[in-house]
Amino acid sequence: MKIEFKLNKKSVMIEVDPMKRLLDVLREDFKLMGTKEGCGEGECGACTVLLGGKPITSCTANAVHAEGKEVLTTEGISEEPDGKLLIECFDETNAVQCGFCFPGFLVSAYHYLQTDGENDLEKIKTALSGNICRCTGYQKIFEAVMMACERKANGK
Amino acid sequence: MKSIKKFDAIPKLNGSWRYLDDYQYEGMINGQFLLSDFHHGKIKEIIFPEGYNLEEFTFARVSDIPGTNIVPEPVNDQPFMVDDEVMHKGQVIMGIAHPDKRLLNEFVKSIKVTHNELPAIYGMKQCLDDEANHFGKADIIDHRTDTPVDPNWIKHHNVYYTPHQEQAYLEPQGTIAIYKPDTKEMYIRVTAQCPFYVKGGIENIMGDAIENAVVESTEGLGGAFGGKEDFPSLLSGVAAILSYKSHKPVKMVLERNEDIAITTKRHPARIEITTYTDPETKKIKKLEIDYRLDAGAYQTCSTVVMSRGILHASGGYAIPDTYIIGRLFRSNTPINGAFRGFGAPQAFAGMEAHIDLIANDLDIDPYKFRKINIFHIGDEFPTTQPVMENNLEDCLDRVIVKSDYSRKVEEYRVWNETHDDKKGIGISMGYHGGGFTGNGEKNMKPKIRVTIDKDAIVRIYVSSTDMGQGAHTTLAQLFFEEIGHPREKCWVELPHTGKTPDSGPTAASRTIYIIGNLLAKTAREIKKELGFDNLEEYVKNHQDEFPKEYFRIFIPDSSVVFNDQKYIGVAYKDYSWAATVNEIVWHADTYQIELIKSWNVLDIGKVVNNKIAVGQAEGGILQGLAYGTTEYIYKPGFGRINGFTDYTLPTTLDIPEIDVEFIHTDNLVAKGLGEIPMDYPAPSIRGALHFATGVMIDEYPLIPERIFKALKEN
Repeated sequence: MKIEFKLNKKSVMIEVDPMKRLLDVLREDFKLMGTKEGCGEGECGACTVLLGGKPITSCTANAVHAEGKEVLTTEGISEEPDGKLLIECFDETNAVQCGFCFPGFLVSAYHYLQTDGENDLEKIKTALSGNICRCTGYQKIFEAVMMACERKANGK
Repeated sequence: MKSIKKFDAIPKLNGSWRYLDDYQYEGMINGQFLLSDFHHGKIKEIIFPEGYNLEEFTFARVSDIPGTNIVPEPVNDQPFMVDDEVMHKGQVIMGIAHPDKRLLNEFVKSIKVTHNELPAIYGMKQCLDDEANHFGKADIIDHRTDTPVDPNWIKHHNVYYTPHQEQAYLEPQGTIAIYKPDTKEMYIRVTAQCPFYVKGGIENIMGDAIENAVVESTEGLGGAFGGKEDFPSLLSGVAAILSYKSHKPVKMVLERNEDIAITTKRHPARIEITTYTDPETKKIKKLEIDYRLDAGAYQTCSTVVMSRGILHASGGYAIPDTYIIGRLFRSNTPINGAFRGFGAPQAFAGMEAHIDLIANDLDIDPYKFRKINIFHIGDEFPTTQPVMENNLEDCLDRVIVKSDYSRKVEEYRVWNETHDDKKGIGISMGYHGGGFTGNGEKNMKPKIRVTIDKDAIVRIYVSSTDMGQGAHTTLAQLFFEEIGHPREKCWVELPHTGKTPDSGPTAASRTIYIIGNLLAKTAREIKKELGFDNLEEYVKNHQDEFPKEYFRIFIPDSSVVFNDQKYIGVAYKDYSWAATVNEIVWHADTYQIELIKSWNVLDIGKVVNNKIAVGQAEGGILQGLAYGTTEYIYKPGFGRINGFTDYTLPTTLDIPEIDVEFIHTDNLVAKGLGEIPMDYPAPSIRGALHFATGVMIDEYPLIPERIFKALKEN
């Protein structure tokens, strides 16, 4: 079945089983390896992408859900100004450890920065609560996102 | 102590850094395990589903193994695949490969295995309470004296249990095997902490059928925590047979539920402690510990875990008369193995809980009771190793001051009198011996290789893997900071058994402590030998001397003399020390513990990279707190957890604020850091819950159901 959508700002069309997981479409058909499979059941958030501007777990979405919508992955976000800002802050705080969960965190943090962006720890915790990290204890992730909120507010 | 940035953070964020499943090879097919779905029994028949062309599949059975069907381990008792008798649920019966991943999965899930059922042990207490399940060998630390028990001394006797814990690394285990018939080489790319362990596994299973086994790391290794120490050997061994038979590259990546079901976990433990305490001096005079671990169906590396466990079991206390016995027990569950802490978290779960028990019974503050009994210079560990520093006490005193413990104890007592919810505050402490136990490093002879090119680029070849802990940043940092070389001209190469010497496994808090300090020493030696102030200048002016290559072998300090049969002597040259105060709120409506603030003071010696070290500590502390409060893998009546949906990992909304401080950082030696953050925090939550509610619970995790039960029974 033919499915058309916007992927990282480019229009794409693909012949695919509409029940194929969006995660597999991204990784297998478009070779976008930044989106990771951690649990396959929508719990860990390593496969988070923005679908129609909202963060979703791509392991629990199917190809059909992308039809006519816009999909933004970590590869696309890392080219955006807010994505670049977040990467700079994650890098500066040495927040990244094994990194397997981080493309998902980047997507959720980017969504927060775009839709709210207040430098508020409780709000940030809630915004990232769909992403599990087993390495860091989250403290440096909060530090990085708070740093990005502050820099964005100050226009840096 | 410069917090230089990690070299791999940006590619990990933009998605360009490759993890196992991101690698593609021409003609690659997919492999999958056929696993036993019963605990114990003899296989009668394997029935394949109809409607599939079996010729399209490749099968790896025991009869296909050209070498030996044994995974190399300290105890060589675990087969790669079941020969006849299934010893645990989730045991590998065979490997199966097919080009189409989804068709393969459908096929494997439709296979029926009939069997004759045999009796099985799969509950933690069913395993550990029954002496009949003992594997047979006991390790004993005997530091008894002839002093008789004074009738005035108060006896305390209790049994503590700790459950399985899942490493829950975010990247599931995976491997790619590529057999090259022309050179008879088996190439493996794998999610492994210890590439040379996997090489040993491939050599075992392939025997003379191959000339060479080469194992290479992936760029990114998505967490490990010990869980990717020995299982990758089994996984890669089966994949190797599939590639050998199909002559195609074979990729096997475990699904999360498979990974949880069959890979190694932290050992469940039963720790029985008996003490005699002088009520006048409040000093513990005599200690006996019976330390038992559930090894699973085979012993494998559990002997080594048990050894470290009993060496940490008596905690940081000066007790003149001590007897510790450690034993492994069998169950029909997958083998348990390495997990950050390696026997020490169980040890402190027992001893620190027992200290709180005595303090409560003697009506003395847990801090004061620890102060009375903590060991000092001049005291001995139960192995007779002298205590060389008072840094554990320094950690304890510092954390008490900075957390404002004494004031909060009074404040929370008053607060609790008028509130349904209760505030709690608890203490615990611990230590971790750096590097392999006893003669391990001496026997291992860890090796490193360093090259300097004509453009002054230093390349470091070590088998230590970077699984997220930042090892390849800090190892390079130890080298280039020592000689003032620019960071961009010093790199650790990706471990590859064909190019990298065997520096030993990435385990035992030894990467920075053993390999890192050896690299710093090597840097100093090279500087002295060549006599330069600036290496770049030197290379520029002496081009004919380069490229140049250096090999070094680690030689342990002569003070490390240990009798590993009698457990006498110096078990570890250097110890890292830590103490914590944890604050909680216990909620009366949900019976839940809310973690509020975790105060931690650690002595890890020299801190190589402060931000990386703090990040390591924070992550380990949270694993330790979750060990005590939420994580369990087997729930009686429900069976085994099989995914992230029901394995309760902490999320951003479940965690306390974590405060970390390092002390005694002027030490010239960077000591072990990887494991200690996991070792010591959990018992303080038990203490805090006791402070809040008056109940002491002797089994982790401290879930609401257990708290409810304990309060009802109180």
